[in-house]
Amino acid sequence: MSTSTEITALDVLEAEAVHVIRECAAECQRPVLLFSGGKDSIVLAHLAVKAFAPAGLPFPLMHVDTGHNFPEVVEYRDWFATEIDERLIVASVEDSIAAGRVQDETGPRASRNRLQTTTLLDAIAEHQFDACFGGARRDEERARAKERFFSHRDMFGQWDPRNQRPEPWSIYNTKLRKGEHFRVFPISNWTEVDVWTYIDREGLSLPSIYFAHEREVFLRDGLFMAAHEVVERLPGEEIFTEVVRFRTVGDMTCTGALKSTASTVDEVLVETRASDVSERGASRADDRTSEAAMEDRKRGGYF
Amino acid sequence: MPRETPMLHAVAVGSVDDGKSTLIGRLLYETGNLTADEIAHVEEASRKRGRKGIDLALLTDGLRAEREQGITIDVAYRSFDAQGRRILLGDAPGHEQYTRNMVTAAAGADVAILLVDAKNGITSQTRRHLAICAMLGVKDVIACVNKIDLVDYDKGRFDEISDEVVAAAASVKGPRVTPIPLSALEGANLIERSERTPWYSGPTVLDALHDIDPPIAEDAFRMQVQWVTRYDEGGADVRALAGRISSGTVRVGDEVVALPSGATSTIARIDVLGEDRDSASAPLSVALHLSTDVDVSRGDVIAPATDQPVVATRVKATIAWLDENPLTTPARLEVRQSSRLVPAIVETLHERLQLDTMEHEPADALEVNDLGIATILLAQPLVVEPYAQNREMGAMVLVDPSTNRTVAAVMVTEVLPD
Repeated sequence: MSTSTEITALDVLEAEAVHVIRECAAECQRPVLLFSGGKDSIVLAHLAVKAFAPAGLPFPLMHVDTGHNFPEVVEYRDWFATEIDERLIVASVEDSIAAGRVQDETGPRASRNRLQTTTLLDAIAEHQFDACFGGARRDEERARAKERFFSHRDMFGQWDPRNQRPEPWSIYNTKLRKGEHFRVFPISNWTEVDVWTYIDREGLSLPSIYFAHEREVFLRDGLFMAAHEVVERLPGEEIFTEVVRFRTVGDMTCTGALKSTASTVDEVLVETRASDVSERGASRADDRTSEAAMEDRKRGGYF
Repeated sequence: MPRETPMLHAVAVGSVDDGKSTLIGRLLYETGNLTADEIAHVEEASRKRGRKGIDLALLTDGLRAEREQGITIDVAYRSFDAQGRRILLGDAPGHEQYTRNMVTAAAGADVAILLVDAKNGITSQTRRHLAICAMLGVKDVIACVNKIDLVDYDKGRFDEISDEVVAAAASVKGPRVTPIPLSALEGANLIERSERTPWYSGPTVLDALHDIDPPIAEDAFRMQVQWVTRYDEGGADVRALAGRISSGTVRVGDEVVALPSGATSTIARIDVLGEDRDSASAPLSVALHLSTDVDVSRGDVIAPATDQPVVATRVKATIAWLDENPLTTPARLEVRQSSRLVPAIVETLHERLQLDTMEHEPADALEVNDLGIATILLAQPLVVEPYAQNREMGAMVLVDPSTNRTVAAVMVTEVLPD
């Protein structure tokens, strides 16, 4: 048994996240944890496991699978669910397309990013989820910096940023009408460096694409995009081999890699601390469309 | 024994146009917590709006409506390191119509960065924010006399405004004030001392954020149970009480009481997220094991048997009204205190606080953004303490069950007899 040690900022963030997770599990009827296999959702799932251990999770995990995910990440997702021995629901965008719920985009810049909103909202309705845990952080993006821990969504899955419920102290108003739900963000106050420091501290494993590896890529808008059959190339976009890693994990169609030799968590931390580019700026084509791209997607029910 | 705050919660407040968002943008920029692409983005947004140079306010005013109107509507949170100390900074709206969001931002804050325009001096909104900070128990205020460049770095003007702020804080029995002459735009006395204020020998804003040590109240141990974890251990049915310690320290062997039932037991084990420890302090999330099988459920409070909070069904409280529909009494609402939700009736509204003068006046209603004092009757007993004594045990919100909206922030001032 250890004696009490000094409490660090990361301990405070961990305690806060666990508090939010327990609060949601106790208050909401049918929560679900959105698990993409990305580092933030891995940290979130790990926190959830710690919040209830040695008992199991009182809610399942769910992945919205676009069919354009990196195979390494899908493999990790399945391994992780088996490892922690919890139920994983996979909601598939391809099923939504097959059922005629959405139309697939075509062409070189086609992305299923917007389509996954429909799949997510359909899955929420089908399973009657009233709370979805997400690994979003306030430091990621300006609209997220404004969002509450318990973020209310109406029947249409919409966020109303001008009329958010006040959240003084750590008191959460968890009341809902039928058909409404919450997006709950336990790691709101964490930064990218916090996430990596925590991964290091807790010894968490990650999908291999977070570390330097050789990959066939092509250049688009200054980002190294993975060469893959789901990503149609424009004329002049030549494939070459580069040593890269991914800083965020989204669809292959909209997630770029960066040139890096960082092959351990320590080395990634060094690079992250020194980086002069934000996480999303370094790797996400989907946020570049307009100044308020994220706010607009969130209003419509996006993560 | 005083402890260091591992994470400082700060909130930037003050009137609209006093430069809060600029200050935050500049702080992040100068401390290296802003990346090149974020800056490029703000530059582009500034150009689009025809601003001269880079308008750092566009960094935290992230909502479309905020950018359109050039104001802050809701709180934005940013984290950064001040010379090794972690700061969580909320940017609170300055407009009077968004005072409710300012209350949200300042609740739980250790320190407020109050901006005052050197040219305009303190306004009624400055006084309101100071009064709200005082009421919310914010212990320290860094009073930035901003845009000091616009008054030619004049010491006389700085002294005049500092004295006004100190006097205003004293009149609300308020926080300790550290006045700083500042130009957020020029970066004067933000990170580096300015050569233009040779007469000033105090700290820069960053120094102040690094050095200010709000006293951590060494309150008695309190923990509200969030969740009872049950599992099987070698054939035995184990129950652990999961929650976040809201104040004080708990040790193995401590005699404790579960309230409101009053059942007593002893702490047998403290599980800090998978690690057994012999003691744990606020604000850690833990699971407590008791030596005997006591009936405890969600919402119950665990406290030392020798130092118990009271159980009450009637309290007097300061109410910050946040909803567009005014409060009239009697009002049938619900009180949420941490993990408890109980029906409540706001019985009597005693008075309204005139925030710019701090005078109390009789009132029969509270409008949105008003503060008042009222008596609240609770349908079930709650474990409470006055807010000034223990923040977590004295803080509540009111929820309107007909709209599900959070309609008020509540700070208990007095526990009343049934």
